[in-house]
Amino acid sequence: MTDTFVAVEKLVVSYGPVVAVDGVEFRVDRGEQVTLLGPSGCGKTTTLRAIAGLETPIGGRIVIDGVSVADAAVHRHVPPERRGLSMVFQSYAIWPHMTVFDNVGFSFRVRGVRREAARAAVERALSLVDLTGFADRPATMLSGGQQQRVALARALACDAKVVLLDEPLSNLDAQLRIAMRDDLAELRRRLGFTAIYVTHDQEEAFALSDRIIVMRAGRIEQQGTPSEIHAAPRTRFVAGFLGMKNILAADIAAVATGQVEARLAPDILLRARDPWPNGMVPASAGIGFRPVDVEVAPDGDGVEGVITRALYLGDVTHYTIRSGPIEITAHAGPRAEFAEGGRVRWRVPPERCLLLRE
Amino acid sequence: MRVAPTVPVETAATVTLGLLVAILVLVPLAAVVFGAAREASAFSVRPLLTVLGSATIISNTLVVGVGATLLAVAAGAALALMLARIRTPGRTLLSRLVTLPLYITPLLTAIAWSWLGSPRGGLINLFARQTFGIDSLVNLHTPGGVIFVSALSYVPLPFLLIGAALRGMDPSLEESARVHGASTLVSLRLVTLPLVLPAILGSGLLVFVQAVGLFSVPAVLGMPSGFQVAGTEIYRLLNNYPPRVSQAAAWGLLLLVATAALVWLQARLLRRRSYVTVTGKAFRPRVLDIGPVRWLLAAIAWAYVCAAVVLPVGTLVWAALVQFITVDPNLMTFDLRHFRYVLFEYPKTYLALRNSVLLGALSAAGVCALGLAISWVIVRTRSWMRPWLDQLSMVPLAMPSMVLALGLLWAYVGLKALPIYGTIWILLIAYVTHYLPFGVRSGSAALRQLHAELEDAARMAGANWTRTMRWIVLPLTWPTLIATWTLLFILAMQEVSSSILLYTSRTTVLSVAVFDLWEAGNVNALAALSVTQLAITFVALAVLFRARDQAVPA
Repeated sequence: MTDTFVAVEKLVVSYGPVVAVDGVEFRVDRGEQVTLLGPSGCGKTTTLRAIAGLETPIGGRIVIDGVSVADAAVHRHVPPERRGLSMVFQSYAIWPHMTVFDNVGFSFRVRGVRREAARAAVERALSLVDLTGFADRPATMLSGGQQQRVALARALACDAKVVLLDEPLSNLDAQLRIAMRDDLAELRRRLGFTAIYVTHDQEEAFALSDRIIVMRAGRIEQQGTPSEIHAAPRTRFVAGFLGMKNILAADIAAVATGQVEARLAPDILLRARDPWPNGMVPASAGIGFRPVDVEVAPDGDGVEGVITRALYLGDVTHYTIRSGPIEITAHAGPRAEFAEGGRVRWRVPPERCLLLRE
Repeated sequence: MRVAPTVPVETAATVTLGLLVAILVLVPLAAVVFGAAREASAFSVRPLLTVLGSATIISNTLVVGVGATLLAVAAGAALALMLARIRTPGRTLLSRLVTLPLYITPLLTAIAWSWLGSPRGGLINLFARQTFGIDSLVNLHTPGGVIFVSALSYVPLPFLLIGAALRGMDPSLEESARVHGASTLVSLRLVTLPLVLPAILGSGLLVFVQAVGLFSVPAVLGMPSGFQVAGTEIYRLLNNYPPRVSQAAAWGLLLLVATAALVWLQARLLRRRSYVTVTGKAFRPRVLDIGPVRWLLAAIAWAYVCAAVVLPVGTLVWAALVQFITVDPNLMTFDLRHFRYVLFEYPKTYLALRNSVLLGALSAAGVCALGLAISWVIVRTRSWMRPWLDQLSMVPLAMPSMVLALGLLWAYVGLKALPIYGTIWILLIAYVTHYLPFGVRSGSAALRQLHAELEDAARMAGANWTRTMRWIVLPLTWPTLIATWTLLFILAMQEVSSSILLYTSRTTVLSVAVFDLWEAGNVNALAALSVTQLAITFVALAVLFRARDQAVPA
């Protein structure tokens, strides 16, 4: 029995003739963090903004906590301020003419709560993001990371039903981004709020989500827990987006349930796993495997190949191996050393080699 | 749970705005067209035919319009290049001084120059006769004089627009031309000029619209020698008895057709151009060093400042203080009697001053509010009315203010339901409509600098639309609004062309009072009143510059 808190049903949003979100459907449970993951232009931010009430869908329904807040069929559109949500924006959207206190306490001011009455809640939110003592600072006197944390405090201060986060870390530099990502994960573990998170960064998605929804061109491509998605991407797109470097076209023949043989070239045959067996094996599809899963050896029973490029990176060496018409990438530890131009044999364990649908 | 209202505030506001702008802009436009085709309450093409038969006035109007436009754009472009891209000595100060004529109404410049350059009594001629024994050294009561003085007044517009385009241009575009073998001049011609062409054509269009419907300069410098243009002719037709309103409207229609044709031509010329290279981003422009010639350039710029600011203002101040006009130093005595007269004895001053300040303040506030609201719809919403609002609110740019006034006159003179004719309200409507494009432009500039997520964040934190406007948008656009308000206050305080058609004895304004004194030949009182008007202007200007300087670091 799941406890559905947010339900998005057949959502359609368009900008004039451009359909940005096309029939997206998913549910978020109470206390769950769900991430919408996808490249720019896939409709993830538009979906989030439609949930927020900042976009008006032309189709579908959004229900939050049992209340229908948007229903295109009956032209219902509850304005954003009456949905009881909060949001962290990509640009942080810190109001520059206010102090940190006024920014974080804005929702109290809107509700007519007196400044002194709001103080405790604001201080608590600021302490959550390690900004105790910053309350009276003008918002313009903050670094990017601090602004980001003020935005987070503002979103947490008002006890919103759902916290929406729109690529909140994308404007930070790499180091700060990783630190903030870990802080955010820790914070959510502690507070357990329901959150919908939008990002194009797969590591962020893995680190922060209970469930990931991969989007492509306005539609949902795959949903699942981070480990499910990582272990078994369903399509070439998802695999490619998650950084699976080796994706190759192949002729497929079924061997047993969940097992296939993939012919990459007339004389190259790999055994692969079909993670989503549904009785139908496409005759022509893709197979994918990660560079770390390729085992390279000087000889043995693998596919024969020539090292065309070796890139030594210290802990790991990146090899490009050519075998007939195909080329693959393999990452090997520091001990395995092969020279460019050298002949090798490579293999991929069948459970690590995946059938990918279109 | 409450059900959301079917018509949100935004939609209601948008529709109201659309109607308001349509009334402001389309009513006078329609009235001019309608009025031009009527005679004695019946449809007639006679007024239009009569007007088309006045070949002299038409050609005079075109000569002044085209001449002043070419001269002003050429000078403005040259000054912009000199002060923005060449290391001309004193260019920071000069850049500011060159814009000053924007704040001095052409009426005053024309009056001062008529005292300086009239064929017999002009100060320059008197001085030349006395000193060198030369008769009639200059004569500004000529078509050339009208063009010269109008151009002096209009130079700041092209200067500002072309200067902004030059500054907004990525210097690497020119640098890459230089690297690929183009000389300075060649890169100027092949890269810079095409990129600022939209600014050149745009400012030319703005100047032409004003120059072709100009009243004050030809009235002062042309009428004494019988040189009539459309503006003075419209004035004459309405002020003679019986007033020939239809014929005046026909002139208005003719001017509208001319400006509309130019707008169309400009759009056609710029159709294939994209403006992406001239962004709003602030680049550090490449400044050329050109050796000793730079002193010559500085001298040219100073000569312009002298001709357009120092000489006219100096002449007015001198005439306001001297007992009577003379070039004989022995006869000159200075006191404040003329100020005493205009400030305390001349009956129209108080009324005119009050009306001008009131109209300036109200119309500036109205334009700012309307401009911000319209630009919010244009910048922030996806309403289908956006392109309409955008286009409609820019129409007054192509409407000479005299034509606008003519339309309002026609529309409201007999309207019993809305008896605003003869009141200050009709002037207010004229001013608000005339300056609306400025309000919309500055409003959109301010809003575009404001990230839309700042407003979204307020909505997410529970503020409704009205509160978001009041607590987020207004405070953040306030500096721009104040600057725009002050600028519009200055401009509206000096408006002549539409006031001269719409005022009554109770609703007279400063510029009209100045014009009355000029027609009455009361030279010294006129000078004193002008100096009073200029003093108010320059105080407001000081406030404006201070506000701008303070707004820069934020």
